[in-house]
Amino acid sequence: MAAIPSLAPSLPAREALLRRGAANVGRCYQCATCSSVCELAPAEAPFPRRLVLLAQWGLVDRLAADPAVWLCHQCNDCTVRCPRDARPGDVVGAVRSLVIEKLAFPGFLGRLVGAARVSWPLLLALPVLFWVALLSWTGHLAVPAGIEANWAYEDLVPHRYIYAVFFPVAAWVLLAAVVSGTRFWKLIGSSGQRQGSLLGNLLPVLTGVATHDRFAKCTAAKPRRLGHLTLLWGFVGAAVTSGLLIVGIYVQHLEMPLALAHPYKILGNVSMALLLVGIALLVGNRLGDAKVAGASSAFDTFFLSLVVLVVLTGTAVELVRLAGDADLGRTLYVLHLGVVMSLFLTFPYSKFAHMLYRTLALVHARMTGIDMPKQ
Amino acid sequence: MERLGVFLCTGCGIGEALKVDALASTAGELGAATCTTHPCLCSPEGVATIRAAFEDGTIGGALVAACSPLAKSTEFRFDPAKCAVERVSLREQCAWSHPAGDEDTQVLADDLVRMGYARLAKTNLPKPIAETIERTVLVVGGGVAGLAAARAAAEMGHPVVVVESGDHLGGHVAKLSHLVPDRPPYDTLQPNRIADLIAAVTSKPDVRVYTSAKIRSITGQPGQFHVEIDTPSGGHTLMAGAVVQATGSRPFDAGKLGHLGYGASPNVVTASRLDEMLAGGGVTRPTDGKLPGRIVFVQCAGSRDPQHLPYCSADCCGTTLRQVAQIHQAHPEVETAVIYRDMRTPGQIERFYAAVQQQPGSMFTRGEVASISGNGTLVVHLKDSLLGDDVELQADLVVLATGAVPNSADGEAIRTFRDATKRSQTAESETQRDEARKIAEQFAAHEGTEILNLGYRQGPDLPTLRQGFPDSHFICFPYETRRTGIYAAGSLRAPMDSVQATEDGFGAAMKAVQCINAAGRSEAVHPRSGDIGTPDFFLQRCTQCKRCTEECPFGTLNEDEKGTPQLNILRCRRCGICMGACPERIISFPDYSVDAVASMIKATSVPEDYEEKPRIIALICENDALPALDAAAARRIQWNPWVRVIPIRCLGSTNIVWIADSLSRGIDGVVLIGCKYGDDYQCHYVRGSELAHTRLGNVQETLQRLALEKERIRVVELSHDEFERIPAILDEFCKEVVDLGPNPLKGF
Repeated sequence: MAAIPSLAPSLPAREALLRRGAANVGRCYQCATCSSVCELAPAEAPFPRRLVLLAQWGLVDRLAADPAVWLCHQCNDCTVRCPRDARPGDVVGAVRSLVIEKLAFPGFLGRLVGAARVSWPLLLALPVLFWVALLSWTGHLAVPAGIEANWAYEDLVPHRYIYAVFFPVAAWVLLAAVVSGTRFWKLIGSSGQRQGSLLGNLLPVLTGVATHDRFAKCTAAKPRRLGHLTLLWGFVGAAVTSGLLIVGIYVQHLEMPLALAHPYKILGNVSMALLLVGIALLVGNRLGDAKVAGASSAFDTFFLSLVVLVVLTGTAVELVRLAGDADLGRTLYVLHLGVVMSLFLTFPYSKFAHMLYRTLALVHARMTGIDMPKQ
Repeated sequence: MERLGVFLCTGCGIGEALKVDALASTAGELGAATCTTHPCLCSPEGVATIRAAFEDGTIGGALVAACSPLAKSTEFRFDPAKCAVERVSLREQCAWSHPAGDEDTQVLADDLVRMGYARLAKTNLPKPIAETIERTVLVVGGGVAGLAAARAAAEMGHPVVVVESGDHLGGHVAKLSHLVPDRPPYDTLQPNRIADLIAAVTSKPDVRVYTSAKIRSITGQPGQFHVEIDTPSGGHTLMAGAVVQATGSRPFDAGKLGHLGYGASPNVVTASRLDEMLAGGGVTRPTDGKLPGRIVFVQCAGSRDPQHLPYCSADCCGTTLRQVAQIHQAHPEVETAVIYRDMRTPGQIERFYAAVQQQPGSMFTRGEVASISGNGTLVVHLKDSLLGDDVELQADLVVLATGAVPNSADGEAIRTFRDATKRSQTAESETQRDEARKIAEQFAAHEGTEILNLGYRQGPDLPTLRQGFPDSHFICFPYETRRTGIYAAGSLRAPMDSVQATEDGFGAAMKAVQCINAAGRSEAVHPRSGDIGTPDFFLQRCTQCKRCTEECPFGTLNEDEKGTPQLNILRCRRCGICMGACPERIISFPDYSVDAVASMIKATSVPEDYEEKPRIIALICENDALPALDAAAARRIQWNPWVRVIPIRCLGSTNIVWIADSLSRGIDGVVLIGCKYGDDYQCHYVRGSELAHTRLGNVQETLQRLALEKERIRVVELSHDEFERIPAILDEFCKEVVDLGPNPLKGF
């Protein structure tokens, strides 16, 4: 006979969840309305009721090993219908932020970003100050005298500095993500027998992500799905544009800045438009019905604000160049580089990490067959 | 009654369905002093016709052949002391339930008029009693329910006497600093305002309070209770009109909860012990006197447990929520975990529950406690937890939410003990004495448990129904007990919290005041409210068989030395169960007697040509079965026209002679339809329906000895809402009677 698990309902764990937006977790009386109304919950292993129960006990270890935490898109169909206002969507959201912190590598960075409520000025200012310091050290802080009217940003900050900073940053973030992802993959492995290959299952999962097909099943948060999908494709477009520009500069030897009619430019600007629409929809959703939007914890707000800053500074950088004001352009460009670096660096520790964990959880769900939605 | 007038109504479809002229000639044939046909008898003009006939002395009794006696009762009510009225239900029992113009329907109507006439002829005018009535309300128990009852009665202008056995008013609640919220927004602890209630009661000029006092005896009857009280300052005697018993409840004996660790570790305490800590020096762990880090509450400790209290004690969930809230208010760092089977938080307590759940350190989880072990730090072993498996939980302090046991005395058991004790000394044979000794031993636990000390033949306290709760018609008439003028309230009556107990006290006080007022008007109380007729006992022929004194559900009758019944008329509810019980048939009411109903049976036509027309008598209880029959008629449901319905006060008032009369007259079958009986009885007179079943069971045996089929008699239980069953019951019975063949006594 297996030993009886000795459990301690943990006040500190509960308090941590309360701080992260699960303020009403205690109100749940386990009626299971949430699991019944959830369009995404598998018939054989329904959620979020189970997750709310574990959260009530403060059993963070069990929550970290539960892939269901990541199968939820927090559309808040459950929260809207909860008869007791326990807000299961917020509870699972709070659990995700706690799991991100718990699996973070290195741990102290996880705790730093996890404490965004107090640490956000540091997280934003450090990268910006880093760029100010780097450029002032290399003598690029000032706008070069006699800059021509048709200036490009390389005239202000040479691309080599950007490569020198962002390639190592990307490598580091990749390392942290691989470490955390591996931890997560092992933890959730106990929840079922996997079949098939990771890569073989990754492709259908990514196809699903590209269309947000799971998210489309949720009813309460239709506008948020559109915002999220637009933002996703905006980021993809921006990333592709960056790649194409490297090709353009070093292979095609194109003259910068590109004309507005150039295909690369068009792609970049369309991406920018998608990003702007995306953040407008998401911010609008946050400002709307609190139950549909979910709790706005500091953890959520920090990430969303960072995205908004990246998009807005990026847009402003282009507009200012077109207007020709090099001084303002330099300032905005430095700011933009700083917030992009902040977004990159906090990726494994902020809400951004859902990209990693949710993708892995979806692959796991496919491989174990637990993700068979209700008929 | 002489000079009978027959008043035939032709409204509501009666005129179309029946030849009313023929009924008028029947009235003439019967010798009616007057016979009037009116198109709408319940109209002011129609009623005026009847009133004029009474007033000018033409008639002494009116046979109103119109609608059911349950309809238009205000219109057809005349001064009951001067005017006898009998109703014949031509509308419900003929026009609405049988084919219009049919020969059988006409015969049925003719029979009903003859039966009603026969009964009216046997009706006498009641002689109203004139008694001096005391208006004081005696409240036994000074807890929340008792105080609420005392305040309500005093505010209704009645003198009040409160007798409390403890040394303070307010009961358990008085010891608490905070209460579960009873007003919006219902989400925070509420300061205990019991002192206001106590002051509201004690400040009233006409309220007397005796603490540390006991009832030595209560004799007499409603309006005239003679009460003796023992107090520290000596005995007091007073008169009371009605009594509210609100003696509350006590915690279930946790000593029986060994499986929950009680007694094994001092760190397992009861909810009442925790309340003492909360009110006193604070919450500490008994073994080391330190503040416990985690407190585990175990709900339903003893309650909803077939081994202990099979019922929900109703108050423990609220108590636990209050205690958890009090603990978090004083010590936010303490963790609490409440283990429940179901949290039961009816009404607004639900809001308080949700608020308490939101405290960071509070957890509620479902589970069954398998065991609690350990001494210092305890291990609570949960099975069937929601986590899907067995779980162990550590606790510094375990609080058992113990259930509530009513502070009642079982009057019937005490009497059984007393009688057996007496018989064990006085019985003639040694065997009888031995038997009595055995019974006395069996009921020995009830010795000295008296609370009200009633001077009633049937025992010194209210009879209890189940689990020590005094008998009560829980749904329809919650405060009623089986002793007229004595009403139960609060957690004595049913498990409840203090908010409910407050309402309960109010409700019982209303009933007490109503009873006193009814006694003042010489009227019966519920369910025959307003009835001024009283039973008459022709004692010269009494054989002291004691059936009436034993079977009266309300303890109306005492006995003298020889066992002759002594009537306490103000306790009487006019059900007629004594009339049904009496083998000598010496008990009768002015408007309801063995003879009157027997006359109705005699007035029924019994065709000798059986092949076409069998006859069935249906004795139907006027409380539930008759309304159901009327409801069926209102929906135009038809039933067999061979049935002759006789409404009776209670199935228990059925005298066996009616069955004998029916069968000897050639009636082919008798069906009795009454209320459901048993633990969840619906009988308005508690035991009537059950007694009828027992008595009729005996009759069926007799029938078999007389070579008559016992199937000719049937007793059916029916509830108020089962009108759809009525045609099936009657039609099926008729069919079975046809199958039996004609009554062999027909024609003799």
